[in-house]
Amino acid sequence: MVGDPGELTVTFSQQPRSVDPDKCTGCGVCIEACPIRYEVQIPPEEEAKARSAYAQAVDETAVAGIISQYREEPGNLLPILLDINSHFNWLPRPALEHVSRELGSPLSEILRVASFYNAFSLVPRGQHIINVCLGTGCFVKGSPRILEELERKLGLKHGQTTEDMLFTLEVVRCIGCCALAPAMRVGEDTFGRLTPGQVGKIIDSYTKTANL
Amino acid sequence: MKLTSLEQLQKIKEQGLKRAYPEKIKIMVGMATCGISAGADKVYRALEDKIAARKMDVALEKTGCIGFCQQEPLVDVIYPKKVRVSYATMTPAKAEALVESLHSGKFFGENVLCRIDQEEFLIEGTTKAYANPHPPELPGDIPKYEELPFFKKQVKIALRNCGYIHPERIEEAIGRGGYATLYKVLTAMTPEEVIAQVKASGLRGRGGAGFPTGVKWEFCRKAEGDLKYIICNADEGDPGAFMDRGILEGDPHAVIEGMAIGAYAIGASQGYIYCRAECPLAIQRLQIAIQQAEDLGLLGDNIFGSGFSFKLKIRKGAGAFVCGEETSLIASIEGKVGEPRPRPPFPAQSGLWGKPTIINNVKTWSHIAPIIARGAEWYAGYGSEKAKGTTVFALVGKVNNTGLVEIPLGISLREMIFEIGGGIAGGRAFKAVQTGGPSGGCIPEEFLDTPVDYESLGALGSIMGSGGMIVMDERDCMVDVAKYFIDFTRDESCGKCTPCREGTLRLMEMLEDITAGRGQEGDLDKLEKMSGIIKKTSLCGLGQTAPNPVLSTLKYFRDEYEAHIWAKKCPAKVCKELITYRVDADKCNGCQLCRLKCPVEAIQGAKKVVHEVLQDKCIKCGTCFEKCKFDAILVE
Repeated sequence: MVGDPGELTVTFSQQPRSVDPDKCTGCGVCIEACPIRYEVQIPPEEEAKARSAYAQAVDETAVAGIISQYREEPGNLLPILLDINSHFNWLPRPALEHVSRELGSPLSEILRVASFYNAFSLVPRGQHIINVCLGTGCFVKGSPRILEELERKLGLKHGQTTEDMLFTLEVVRCIGCCALAPAMRVGEDTFGRLTPGQVGKIIDSYTKTANL
Repeated sequence: MKLTSLEQLQKIKEQGLKRAYPEKIKIMVGMATCGISAGADKVYRALEDKIAARKMDVALEKTGCIGFCQQEPLVDVIYPKKVRVSYATMTPAKAEALVESLHSGKFFGENVLCRIDQEEFLIEGTTKAYANPHPPELPGDIPKYEELPFFKKQVKIALRNCGYIHPERIEEAIGRGGYATLYKVLTAMTPEEVIAQVKASGLRGRGGAGFPTGVKWEFCRKAEGDLKYIICNADEGDPGAFMDRGILEGDPHAVIEGMAIGAYAIGASQGYIYCRAECPLAIQRLQIAIQQAEDLGLLGDNIFGSGFSFKLKIRKGAGAFVCGEETSLIASIEGKVGEPRPRPPFPAQSGLWGKPTIINNVKTWSHIAPIIARGAEWYAGYGSEKAKGTTVFALVGKVNNTGLVEIPLGISLREMIFEIGGGIAGGRAFKAVQTGGPSGGCIPEEFLDTPVDYESLGALGSIMGSGGMIVMDERDCMVDVAKYFIDFTRDESCGKCTPCREGTLRLMEMLEDITAGRGQEGDLDKLEKMSGIIKKTSLCGLGQTAPNPVLSTLKYFRDEYEAHIWAKKCPAKVCKELITYRVDADKCNGCQLCRLKCPVEAIQGAKKVVHEVLQDKCIKCGTCFEKCKFDAILVE
């Protein structure tokens, strides 16, 4: 930048926007330095769905309330995200943008934390979250078969949500009911000593209450 | 009311004792997560309704888990001045029958597990007797608590109040000696004296690594710093372990008191409990306990008027196994990604927000008050020459008696599994016992007489770990188990260091190949070599111990790996790609049960005609094998 106020000449220098494969050694330094490295790439249609879901559940005041509750606390990002996650059942992008503005920390940092921990979901989840325990105690007592039965019953793989947004099937590494293995949790309810034959009935009981 | 004197604490204690041991009949329901998932809440509601319907003057209370999870839901009845009787595997119908029989003044004789004639008040070193003399209406053949094989060899120090107090009533915890030790420490001991006691007791970190607790405290005491922190590691991420959950749900005050004593010893005024979010009940009970302790001035400013202040906060984990590692846990409390950092500096010198910090496990904290109250010598009297005191194990898997057990260190694995655990369920053969979670190893039968302590288990290629003990029988494939653990660590690896991130992935691929029948010559050597590299070069404990399940199974169950590679067979008949289901024509009577239950219609056959499994459709789910009442389904 040269010249005097009123008569400035500004030179922009633009750095290369792509990686030259001939020169790249794969050292990873650019990954470390990249400010948007932890941006989770969500397909456009999913992104649109996510935004509309948030718009329906217009609840910016809830997010503001959660933030104000922890504002003074050091290291408050995790508790804030946990509360937002349990309020919406997932972490809507606009809510994260809200947190980013309020806390003054970059969205990339927030997304980094949000994508690191298993408890957070960046896509909408169903009304009932089914957690099949795959802890060692449950594993040796046959919980993989419980999971398979649920996948068949709901017609999806774990990590997915049913079309009607009623159930999301997830696996969890131990819910501490090892002595009553195999176990699973639907929402807040825990079920122990399961057999593959029982899970269908349990799921049906939730479908029925939802239809009432 | 804020307590400032011993007399005031004594008053609360009397209230608590009156509440815990009322003049009338008291019914207690074990309502920890394990009890609730077995149906304890339904039993509780049935009891409540029936008591109301009968308009009875009976105290109905919730309590924590006494440890015998196999027998849940557990209901205890205190017949005042007579005896306490434990009832096992209760149902709402049985609960109603129990109330009916109490209503008519009779002893309820069904589902009896045992009688408890006396309770130990561990902190005070006294016992409270129920039955003296023996009540005549009680049948003589009811086993006593201390005679049951499950309880016989247990010594309950960390679990002293679990199953005896209402975990949401601080006065009951005080009634059994809670917070009296804190009073003693604040009024009559110097921090150095406290540390000396903990050191002399020989207590080592019960989170798994086994670092001497007193030594760690001394480091932190001596570290420079105006501000110091205390952290309780309740991020019990080990799959197959629930000791910390059990303590927090049954007796949260044991942990809070221990932390307050520790804070005084090192000079901290702020503490955090980092508890995993997958244990919502533990968090809820902790919140209640902290609130009640604050209301009585047992947490907060100027505790007991001594000038010592200590505040405690709960931080919820967000489901990352690596956060059980202390530097990751600290990063997580700071609101960052839970990635570990190299040590030194150790947290005792530079921890949370760069300040000296002590992190101990839930079990370690709950040992502190008894050690100070009864003395280091008393505590060191338990355990073996090398390892002092007791520790809590979650005994699960294929044993008859599953549950939470607290044993003096040094008893043998055989005693644990075959005496306390009551042997292998279903009369099958023992194969291996796994300790230490994903960081531990599988120990075969020939080493069952090994004493349970840090060094002995370490010498076998396993670790003591935080206390998961999973028993496996002949139907468990050890290659599959190794694959399970590697899949776990691969999934939970934070990705910061390459050996752990990439190495566990490669191990997983090799194990997948072997279990799918694609194993080749040289695979086992490659597994061993790769495991060695991961162990030596990983940044934190997660990676450094991740290959242990592979190495230990390779060492003790190499023949199983070889069977997968050469014969393309899974000896335990677990690995799906290597087994087929077939109908035994001699045994099948054409009952159609398997055909109807098969989820993919892979079984055909008319009524009373021998069925057939269509191999191209079969998904090997095993449903037919389990449903067949005539053992006519063969697995090969």
